[in-house]
Amino acid sequence: MTSPESTPPGGDDSGRGLSGVQRAGIVLGALAVLLIVFVVLQGSDDSGSPSSSSQTTATQTATTTTTTTEQGTSTGSTSTEDSTTGSTTDDNGSGGGGSDDDAGSETGTTQTQPAAPAVRTVRVVNGQPQGGVSRLEYKKGDRVRFKVQSDVADEIHVHGYDLMKDVTAGGSVSFSFTASIEGRFEIELEDAGTQIAELEVKPS
Amino acid sequence: MIRRARLAAAAAALAGAAVAALPDAALAHGLVGRQDLPIPRWLFAWGAAVVLVVSFVALAVLWPRPRLEEAREKRVLGVPAALEALAGVVGILAFAAVVYAGLAGTQTATANLAPTVIYVIFWVGIPFASPLLGDVFAAFNPWRAIARGVAWIAGRVAPGKLPAPMAYPVWLGRWPAAVGIFGFAWVELVFVDRDDPTTLAILALLYAAVQLVGMSLYGIDTWTRRADAFAVYFKLFSKLAPLHWRDRALYRRPPLSGAPRLDAVPGTVALLSVMIGTTSFDGLSQGDLWTGTNGIAPTLQQRFLNLGFSQETALQITFTIGLLLMVCFVGALYRLGVAGMGSIGGRHRPGELAQRFAHSLIPIALAYVVAHYVSLLAYQGQAMASLASDPLGDGSNLLGTASATIDYNVISATGIWYVQVAALVLGHAAGLTLAHDRALSVYPRVRDATRSQYWMLAVMVGFTSLGLWLLSASAQS
Repeated sequence: MTSPESTPPGGDDSGRGLSGVQRAGIVLGALAVLLIVFVVLQGSDDSGSPSSSSQTTATQTATTTTTTTEQGTSTGSTSTEDSTTGSTTDDNGSGGGGSDDDAGSETGTTQTQPAAPAVRTVRVVNGQPQGGVSRLEYKKGDRVRFKVQSDVADEIHVHGYDLMKDVTAGGSVSFSFTASIEGRFEIELEDAGTQIAELEVKPS
Repeated sequence: MIRRARLAAAAAALAGAAVAALPDAALAHGLVGRQDLPIPRWLFAWGAAVVLVVSFVALAVLWPRPRLEEAREKRVLGVPAALEALAGVVGILAFAAVVYAGLAGTQTATANLAPTVIYVIFWVGIPFASPLLGDVFAAFNPWRAIARGVAWIAGRVAPGKLPAPMAYPVWLGRWPAAVGIFGFAWVELVFVDRDDPTTLAILALLYAAVQLVGMSLYGIDTWTRRADAFAVYFKLFSKLAPLHWRDRALYRRPPLSGAPRLDAVPGTVALLSVMIGTTSFDGLSQGDLWTGTNGIAPTLQQRFLNLGFSQETALQITFTIGLLLMVCFVGALYRLGVAGMGSIGGRHRPGELAQRFAHSLIPIALAYVVAHYVSLLAYQGQAMASLASDPLGDGSNLLGTASATIDYNVISATGIWYVQVAALVLGHAAGLTLAHDRALSVYPRVRDATRSQYWMLAVMVGFTSLGLWLLSASAQS
């Protein structure tokens, strides 16, 4: 594992000389290893997290393969912070065609859609988001639908998408748009400068 | 043997500290309403695997004699003095425009030219350009241009009557720059009014004033090379560049080969620790460990609230502590590796080694900057189109581009991930290469050089894994 070739002084590394071919071999071998690791790691997410992910997978496939708004919102409502959501998403983000089939077969067995795919509601009490800043998770192409109910009058601003709507004190306002930009975006009370929610759009 | 045991214990303690230090954040770097998605688990694992493989391949394949240390430069072309003066004037005008916009324009951060120029074009754009094009900032450096202009006029009016500059204290080295960059990072990551255009303009004026005083006391070139925080910061990155501007001429050289020429005066390691540490904190402060419900920040903040501080002050104190700790952590990790190296060959003190290997941290620092800021530059950088037309946010349309908007789909989230991982891996490889090259000239026996590099390898793998982890889903909520 020590380094380099022929050592001029002392020669304590005798026998360490590497020819150009050997060096090229090492580099190629390393590349091959990396390629294998890359493929294995991508694949392992499919099989690696079957335990609790079946439901999220189901919803996900539903939303990626169709554009029905109802299913789109169901993703929003089930999207509690959950590590498996992360890993399953990654499959689709990178895996290309193959993973869709896997998930599709699971869909058949676990297609238990949540009963009430309600539109997510963000409640603002005393100018602050109730229960802290919550995250609304979607995948690119989904229909984003949520409602803000506020006890203060302000303007609701969805960053990145740059959507603004006024809300009156005690009133509510609804948003509905297509998740076309990936990333995490602030949703805030524009005048007060208070963040009330975070919109997360992952690659589809 | 005892020495080894002590080192191992210190390593374990550091690792423990790292775990303890990890906690939910309301703050992130200024200006933008968009944050990156965390790197998915598989990509994180893959990146880490690449790092390890690259490291071991490097050990096996890297050359046995120093190469970069002896690289030569070739002159490409000359730069006329008039061009130099012109660049200085452009720099001064740009500086004046930004300060004026900050003071006179709208106070909505995103509609005012000043915050975007300062945080995106200046703070991020120049570090992206410098490793490719060389030290471009030196040509446009506004305060230096002012000082040189004044010196030129004074020389004309009263030839030979200018007092000689004072001797710059050796012990001071790059410490003023380290303090300056820490100060800027504090404003960017901690200060509650960081987006406020007027505040930024005043800070910019203050900074320029301090530089002018410094240059008049210690000489323009000495001060710029040692103490002008931004000049020093950008110059460090430019040392990796294949282009080198000096003495009114442009030279080309192998990439990275400028780094071994770094004169690691006192404060250099501190500056590099500040650079890596503050960027790390930017990542950390967006993660669960720091800002989560049970994270470090809310807990600490509560402590300070109980002491009677206001909400805002308590938050700033908490974040200042986090920033400081992260810088110290990075510095300690480096010193640990250096201490390990000091146990080999037996002829080198850790203090000396710390300085001699400091330049190998430059690519790591650059990798952190690229990984953390590439999306800011790619997205918020586009805002320059509209801001250039309407710098004050008063509805003017100077260039006809005032209504341009940001296209958030120029790079996909997946594209950003790959850039981030690639930057960290490349920075890692470059850091290893530089350290290897230096070890060959520090240790007369190749075997000692190689053994010393096991320690640097551990340090580099530590930094790169930290960088990857900070961007990954494990660290972010």
